[in-house]
Amino acid sequence: MPNQTPKSAYRISRRTVLRGAGVTMALPWLESLPAFADATTPAALPKRFAVLFMGNGVNEDHWDAQGSGAEMTLSKTLSPLEPLKGKINVIHGLFHKRATGQGIHPGQTGSLLNGSMIQKGAIIKAGVSVDQMIANKVGQDTPQASMVLACEQPMTGYHESNFSMAYSSHISWQSPDSPVPNEVYPSLAWDSLFENRGSLRNMSILDRVRGDAEALNKKIASSDKAKLDEYLTSVREVENRVDGMRKSKDTADEVAKQNNRPVYTMDRPANGLPEDFREHTKLMCDIIAIAFQTDKTRVATLLLARDLSALYYPFLEMRDGHHAASHNNNSDGYERVARFHLSQLAYLATKLDAMPEGNGTVLDNSCLMFMSNMWIGRKHDNSRLPLVMAGGLGGTLKTGRTLDFIKAGDENRKMSSLYMSIMDRMGVKVDRFGDAEAPLVGI
Amino acid sequence: MSRSTRPAVILAVLSCTITPFLQAAGTSSPALDRAFTQNVRPFLTKHCNGCHSGATPAAQFDLKAYTNTASVIKDFPHWALVLDRLNAREMPPKPLPQPPDADRKLVVEWIQAVRSNEAKRNDGDPGPVLVRRLSNAEYNNSIRDLTGIDMRPTREFPVDPANTAGFDNTGESLTMSPALLNKYLQAAREVGDHMVLTMDGFDFSPHPMLVETDREKYAIQRIVNFYLSQPTDYAEYFEAAWRFKYRSQLRKPTATLAMFAAEAKVSPKYLPLIWQLIEAPEDKAKTEVGPVAKLQAMWRALPAPGGDPALLRKKCVEMRDFVVKLRAHTAMEFTAPVMRGLSAYSQPLLNYKYRQFNTHRRDFDRKALRAASDPVPVVPTIPRYPGLGQESAPRAAALMIKARDGDLNLVYPDGQKEAYEASFARFSHVFPDVFYVQERGRFFPDDSQDKGRLLSAGYHNVMGYWRDDDPLQELILDEQGKKRLDRLWDEFDFIADHTLRTWTQYYFNQSGEILGTGRESGSARPLDKAVGSSEVIFGLRDAYLAKAAAANNPVVIEAIKYHFQWENDTLRRVEKMRAGSEAQHLDALEKFAARAFRRPLTRAEFIGIRAYYRELRDKGALTHEDAIRDSIVSILMSPKFCYRVDLMDASAAAPASGAALQVAGKPATPAASTAAAVQPLSAFAVASRMSYFLWSSMPDEELLAHAQGGDLLKPEVITAQAHRMLKDERARGLSTEFAGSLFDFRRFEEHNAVDRERFPAFTNDLREAMYQEPVRFIDNIIRNNGSLLDMLYGKYTFVNPVLAKHYAMPEVKGAPDTWVRVDNADAYGRGGLLPMSVFLTQSSPGLRTSPVKRGYWVVRRVLGEVIPAPPPNVPELPHDEGKMDLPLRDMLAKHRENPACAACHARFDSFGLAFEGYGPVGEKREKDLGGRPVQTAAEFPGGVQGAGLDGVKAFILEHRQKDFTENFSRKLLAFALGRSLQLSDEPLIERMQARLAANGNHFTPLVDAIVTSQQFLNKRRTDTPSER
Repeated sequence: MPNQTPKSAYRISRRTVLRGAGVTMALPWLESLPAFADATTPAALPKRFAVLFMGNGVNEDHWDAQGSGAEMTLSKTLSPLEPLKGKINVIHGLFHKRATGQGIHPGQTGSLLNGSMIQKGAIIKAGVSVDQMIANKVGQDTPQASMVLACEQPMTGYHESNFSMAYSSHISWQSPDSPVPNEVYPSLAWDSLFENRGSLRNMSILDRVRGDAEALNKKIASSDKAKLDEYLTSVREVENRVDGMRKSKDTADEVAKQNNRPVYTMDRPANGLPEDFREHTKLMCDIIAIAFQTDKTRVATLLLARDLSALYYPFLEMRDGHHAASHNNNSDGYERVARFHLSQLAYLATKLDAMPEGNGTVLDNSCLMFMSNMWIGRKHDNSRLPLVMAGGLGGTLKTGRTLDFIKAGDENRKMSSLYMSIMDRMGVKVDRFGDAEAPLVGI
Repeated sequence: MSRSTRPAVILAVLSCTITPFLQAAGTSSPALDRAFTQNVRPFLTKHCNGCHSGATPAAQFDLKAYTNTASVIKDFPHWALVLDRLNAREMPPKPLPQPPDADRKLVVEWIQAVRSNEAKRNDGDPGPVLVRRLSNAEYNNSIRDLTGIDMRPTREFPVDPANTAGFDNTGESLTMSPALLNKYLQAAREVGDHMVLTMDGFDFSPHPMLVETDREKYAIQRIVNFYLSQPTDYAEYFEAAWRFKYRSQLRKPTATLAMFAAEAKVSPKYLPLIWQLIEAPEDKAKTEVGPVAKLQAMWRALPAPGGDPALLRKKCVEMRDFVVKLRAHTAMEFTAPVMRGLSAYSQPLLNYKYRQFNTHRRDFDRKALRAASDPVPVVPTIPRYPGLGQESAPRAAALMIKARDGDLNLVYPDGQKEAYEASFARFSHVFPDVFYVQERGRFFPDDSQDKGRLLSAGYHNVMGYWRDDDPLQELILDEQGKKRLDRLWDEFDFIADHTLRTWTQYYFNQSGEILGTGRESGSARPLDKAVGSSEVIFGLRDAYLAKAAAANNPVVIEAIKYHFQWENDTLRRVEKMRAGSEAQHLDALEKFAARAFRRPLTRAEFIGIRAYYRELRDKGALTHEDAIRDSIVSILMSPKFCYRVDLMDASAAAPASGAALQVAGKPATPAASTAAAVQPLSAFAVASRMSYFLWSSMPDEELLAHAQGGDLLKPEVITAQAHRMLKDERARGLSTEFAGSLFDFRRFEEHNAVDRERFPAFTNDLREAMYQEPVRFIDNIIRNNGSLLDMLYGKYTFVNPVLAKHYAMPEVKGAPDTWVRVDNADAYGRGGLLPMSVFLTQSSPGLRTSPVKRGYWVVRRVLGEVIPAPPPNVPELPHDEGKMDLPLRDMLAKHRENPACAACHARFDSFGLAFEGYGPVGEKREKDLGGRPVQTAAEFPGGVQGAGLDGVKAFILEHRQKDFTENFSRKLLAFALGRSLQLSDEPLIERMQARLAANGNHFTPLVDAIVTSQQFLNKRRTDTPSER
């Protein structure tokens, strides 16, 4: 549409994103899986994008990587990625200039995935985040446009810097005014994918209005029936489609079985929040993995620990909560916290790498990012951000590299440029994003 | 007078005339049958059938197929065309031998006779009005009026197609498809996302209500808006008191203080308090000291009536400023109680401090005063902004000393301390330091930075809100206002659950301070809901108390006890509110459904709504809120909402029942031959017809009440309602939907053909203004019962700043939504519809004007003439007039040299050529883009000479005005009925014309004629509803 107003980018209802709508559904990719499995061109395979986030920075003394390929050496915090060395890129030195000098915490987090200049005070204004930009485009091809998960509940209210705590609690933003709601419950995240709760609910509504229309049909003249029949037929048609979507999980399993391919299966997680945090993060990663494999969605974000996190890590022999501990971020304890979170990336990447697809694996067709909003927690330093990427994004991203942008100059180390590079490779063309007007050189 | 156009007009509105209904209704008259056999058929055989018959009849029109009058009636639209062509002598075509005039006349008269016979015989036939879905505009407007929020959920829908009459509000063109149904589902979901449960029903928010911040934003905004709407400006009170004082001079000797309060829109409760303080008997006034004395002196010094009102205002403002400043300097200060091991912002302690502020806003700080002989306080160095956990009071106190420095009002003469303190006490009791706190920075009360946190408690790193508005309640609000405010705060909790969430965050992020586990958290993983239980709350209280007992500080103990008790009480109360509200939400759901369906619910529908909700809760395992939400979506998805179904009046099953209308002495039901097949609409169906006609939206409460009460069908009531509705703002729908379609500017907001590099003035703002101009112009006529002819000859128009600039009119100052009426628009080449830039721009293909399209627009859209589509092989004109060898008018003249082209182009080119004085974006111009002087002379049909806009107007006035009014009437009727017109509507059209003529061409009589007409109030009954 020419002359589209900027608003139109956010016009998709956030619930659509949340629920996957269950309505605007193209055929699930899995139904054509056999043809796919033989495909030799990676370009034909879907590309996926995920972000794993931990707030408050890492232990900078133990976050490093040098060299490339087999020679790559990983420091202590990154060591869980050792087996995946060939499939990752460790990137030093990218940052958001706009998020510096703005005040600590929410001011450093609100723009993390959108690169915008966020607003202080009562009115929340950020920008559409990179995952939602991608979801708005590629999400139309999958039952659910994106998954926005979190292992910690959001906070609201204000930080002392006068930024809303909403900036600290969310990384995915569907519109500048409001974030995408986080799903914290693994069981509900699972339901929305496989029970397709959105679909179930729409089915129920369609069923009900069909009843309404049929009752009405009895009261009207026959010449009007033709018009109402048009409506009834449409309702039935949509019902059939929705029903088809619901069954696609079964179909997917069936197709995979026939191809003698192991399909990762998973039982529905129990209701409520898992008592053990480790269980929580694992379930969330499992859900992303199975969603990517079955092409239920191609975009996911997982907030492991929010900015100003109040999480507790007794299993890491930590007494302090996450945020308090981050003020002493070069401690051994905080290193364990960072390593624990990074190991979620290793877990998810390994899982995806065990899923064959085309001539490679699902990981090869994905781009996973692990990042934080700060580099050094005790200084609230975000002049560079910790970042590891995993997966080759369908052959468009060379892996097994360490890339160092620290000395590249501020203009050439924009995180938003990296987002432009990723969007570009996923078919989302934009002229600018955040403070970037060009993709990242050297990625 | 172009005789050929009239029949064509009729043809245009005759698309689907004949239905089984009419066939069954009667047969043609024997006389017409005889004439058909004796005159018409032989004529056809001789002059027409040569081409129009056989295997491939010309224009696919086989005249041999018509064997009797009935077959002609059945296909009358084609015969209207025959009439047109015969009249215009276009058929048989010229090279062929022409029939004798007398023969031609016989056939013409016969066709006319058939037409008028049919029209009369079926006069008032309601015609086939199909069930249909709401158009996009109607859907948007209905959602707006149903929810109170203009969210335009159809913005992603495909554009609705129009019927042959040019309107998108008919079952003839509105269809449904699975893809569209999907969009309906999304739209309904979107509306559902805006739903917010309140304590006794539900409401809709301007934004989606999906994340916590949405809920807080919504609830907070309502509270802040309430605060801001309260009369807290002292100057207003002083002025009102002044009026009371001088009530005799102001010729209101009997008016009371309360009456002046009402007049000034200030609190009638508060004004007497102020009055008593400032208006003292003279003897008493003499003994006053301090601020009361000073204020009383200012009060007495106010000018008497008869002077400059601005001076009075100025003096009242001075009084206000005196009060505000003095109260700021005497406001009380508090610190949090100190307890070893806890920081100053530990919530139980900080909240204690807040409570002190809340309850001392009508007291003053005695330390602010000093005796004249006391040493002047030294302004201290302002301490740094307090760090985490530190008490903010020292800094606030230092800032206060600095602020007070030099304020002599705080100094009392030696020995008068008591009298002054008493004065300050009285003063402060009437004038609080603030009425309410609407925003805070961190570490309240020092909000010298970081303002803008609405209602925030200023806690560190956790959410939290604090209510502080005692003075507002005590001094200004009446009982109703207090209830309303309490309710808004309760709803803040109800909607956003802020107390529980603050508690939870406090529990996990800060309660470690007492449990000795560091700042954050008391346990490894959230216990979830259990955190808010009384057990946990009081357990934590006891931990605090144990520590406080060791410190042996009674204030701290009191603070802790109060805090946790309050926390628990609030949470329990919210729980109770929540549990008690579910039944009310269901009641609200029923009311919502009745509003959505635009009629009372049937018993079965009542039961169905509750049953569906139950099913969602039980089988669907949805929460209460989601079940209500999905119930709302199902109501919006029901054809009872998103379709227009004109249900017949069940109580009026017999035709011509008592409910039917008497119109102009005619029986209310149509002519006898069709009566059996016609039935009056129910009053609710009529209400919907009214509102979708006049508002493009659903009926409002008043209209439905008249339907319910049964008097809507009385002619005087229905016309009174129509008049009311036409004055309503929602009548804008008639300008945008009806007039927007009639004059074809409805989609101009998307117009993108302008070359913006060549015409940089054409911005989105100008485009929007161009679109708005006719809307506002026509809206003004409709809502003020103006004359239709203003559209043609009006010398006025409406402009906003950007449009005024475009028209080179005097500057209009203000925002883009500042619209002013310009009465001498003709001085700038504007006035009325014709020279509006929206039409001139829309017809221009970018870099040139298009006299063809402009002329076509005038004759087709304004005058209602029907011109056949051009043949497919017409060459395109060059797209840039700057690059043409010849002026456009010469190129068109060449085109007209071809007789095949001239037949049509002669009918409209001239109208467009006369507008050559306006460029491609409707700007006035002397030269075209090629630098050639423009010429606006034109030869109108019939050889009439004229030039420019005035020439067009003069020509229409002289020759074509009736075409305009008649076309307007026809289109209005077609729009109102939601169908194409048919022969049987002709008598009504004639009556409408007569009313126009009798009422100076004013608009409202047209509406009166329509809403009281038989076709508007009845419905065809093609068969009895089946009883399956």
